[in-house]
Amino acid sequence: MGQSPISPAIAWPAKSTQVPKEIFVRQDVYAEEIKRIFHGPEWSPVAHASEIPNVGDFKTCYLGETPLLVARDEDGGIQVFYNTCSHRGTQVETAVSGNRRNFECPYHRWVFDLKGNLTACPLRPDDAVNFTKEKYPLEKPRVAIVHGLIFVTMSPEAPSIETFLDGYEDKLLNVMGGDGRLKLLGYHKLQLNANWKTYHDNDAWHAPLLHLAFRMLNWQGGKGRQFANDRGHRGFESALALPKGQTLLKDASLIEYRGGNLERGSCSLHLFPLFSAVKHLDTIGLRFVNPSALDRTDIHYAYFGREDDSEEMLRHRVRQSSNFLGPCGLVSMEDAAVFQRLHVGSHTPGMQVFQKGVRDEYAMPVEFSQNDESVNILSWEYYRKVMGFAKEAA
Amino acid sequence: MSAVDESILRAVDELQVRYIDALDRRDMDGWLAAFDDTDASYILQTAESEEARLPLALILDDNRARLEDRVSFITRVWAGTYQEYRTRHFIQRLDCRPAEAGLYAVRTNFMVAFTRLDLTRTELLATGVYHDLVAVEGGTARFRAKKALTDASALPHYVVYPL
Ligand code: FES
Ligand SMILES: [Fe+2]
Repeated sequence: MGQSPISPAIAWPAKSTQVPKEIFVRQDVYAEEIKRIFHGPEWSPVAHASEIPNVGDFKTCYLGETPLLVARDEDGGIQVFYNTCSHRGTQVETAVSGNRRNFECPYHRWVFDLKGNLTACPLRPDDAVNFTKEKYPLEKPRVAIVHGLIFVTMSPEAPSIETFLDGYEDKLLNVMGGDGRLKLLGYHKLQLNANWKTYHDNDAWHAPLLHLAFRMLNWQGGKGRQFANDRGHRGFESALALPKGQTLLKDASLIEYRGGNLERGSCSLHLFPLFSAVKHLDTIGLRFVNPSALDRTDIHYAYFGREDDSEEMLRHRVRQSSNFLGPCGLVSMEDAAVFQRLHVGSHTPGMQVFQKGVRDEYAMPVEFSQNDESVNILSWEYYRKVMGFAKEAA
Repeated sequence: MSAVDESILRAVDELQVRYIDALDRRDMDGWLAAFDDTDASYILQTAESEEARLPLALILDDNRARLEDRVSFITRVWAGTYQEYRTRHFIQRLDCRPAEAGLYAVRTNFMVAFTRLDLTRTELLATGVYHDLVAVEGGTARFRAKKALTDASALPHYVVYPL
C-alpha cells in the first residue's frame, strides 16, 4: 500500500496500545484517508435493498464527497451509479429518495433508464461526430450485494467481497435478523461534529459506564464475547439478559423483547472502514456513515423490521427503535456528546491509550473478554498499514 | 382563517407560550404539565420521514407514561453526560380549527436557536411546524397530541430536550 507521503510524518508509536491524537485533526491525513480508504480498495455499504423495494425506487448517498445513485431496475435488480451525467457531469438526481421511471438530466435533457442506459437525447445525427447513445451510459462503481446489503468500491484493486468480509458474512447475517429479508421503518440522521474515526472507534468498555440507563434499569449484560480480525473488522455477540425488576421506566415496552431467541440476542458488527450494524432487543439498525469533512461525520441510522413481521410486531419495533437508540435514544444519546468531546480533546499533543484488556503493550491482542477496549487495537493496526504510517522502533 | 372563539385562541396561545417557556428554562416538569394528565403524546419527526410515510420518529412518546419517562431520561439517566445548551424557541400560530369534541387542531411554525454554553455563537437547531391537538377546558388548554415536524432531515447536534 506504500509509505505515507504526508509530512510532517506521523510518528506511530511502537506500543500497540497507543494512537496519535493528531490523526483525528490533521487535514492532510483526512485527504489521504479519502484517497486510500474511502476511494481506495475497501468496500463500503451504502444501502440495503429493502430501502428500495419496488421497481423505480431510488436513494442518493455519498462516499466521501462522491455522489451515488442507487436504484431498483425494471428486472428487480439493484443498480448503483455515480450520480453524474455522462454528458457534462451534472448531478443527475437531487432527491434523497423517491420513485422514477427514468432519470432526466435537466441541463441538456439526456434521459437514462433504470439500468443507466442513455435512452433519449436531443442530438440530431449531424450535430456531432462519433456520437452513439450506447457510448454514454451512467458510469458505475463496483457493486457487491450480500444478503441485501449493497457494498460499493471505487477501486479496481479492491479484493472480492468474500476476501474483504474475511469470514464475517454469517455475522452480518445474524446482525440483520437472520436472513436479510428486511422491511424499512425509517431513519435517524445526525451530523456528528467529530472525525469519522472517533465514531468508528467506539469501544465496548464504556457501555455500562457512560450509559447510566443500564445501571438504573438494573440491567446487566448477558454472557457475550467480542471478536476481531486482521482486516479491521470487529464485533460483539451476546445473549440478551433482560432487566430484573422495574426501577425507572413507566412504559416498559421500550425494553420489552419479543424476538424469542435470547441467545445472540444482542450483537453488533463494525466493518472497516466505517459501517456498523446493531441488533439489540427488537431493533435492527444498519448505520450508513460517511465522512463529509475532517471534523464532520454524517450518520444515517436505518431501522428495519423483518418481512414477515405482523403489523403489531412492526409497531412494537417502531416504538422501540425510535426511543431506544439514536441521537435522542435512551441508551445512546450520550455517545454523540462524548464523540464531540473526543474531537475537541484530540487537538492536543500525545496519544490516546488503550488499557482495559491489554496483556502486552507491544503485541497484537488475541483474546478479549466482553468489555475489553483492547479489541479495537486490531482495527487500528489495519488502519496504520493501509495509511502507510511507519511504526517507531521499540 | 379560523372560526374559533377569541377566548379559545387566547387559551391556545397561552399554552404554546407556557410550553416554549418551560423548554427554554429547561423546566421538564413545566414541559410535562403542558400535556393532558391521562392521554397525551409527543412526537418529534422529520418532514422527510412524514413525506416518505416512514413511521420511525426521533422521539415517539405516544402515551402519558412515555412522557413521564422522557423527563426521567433527561433529569436522571443522562445527567452529567451531555454539554448543557440554551435554546430559544420562537413560534407563530398559522391555523386553529375545531376538531373532535372539545379539541382544536392547531398548526404553528417554530424556530429553535441553540447556544452551547462553551461556545460564543448561536446556531439554528431546527425549524419546522407543530401539528397539535389541543383540549380546552374551563379556559385552560393542554396538549392531547403534539407533533413537531422538522424541516431538515438531519439534526445538526444531538437532542437532549424535546423541541
Ligand atoms: S450535462 Fe446532463 S444533459 Fe448535458
Ligand atoms: Fe455507546
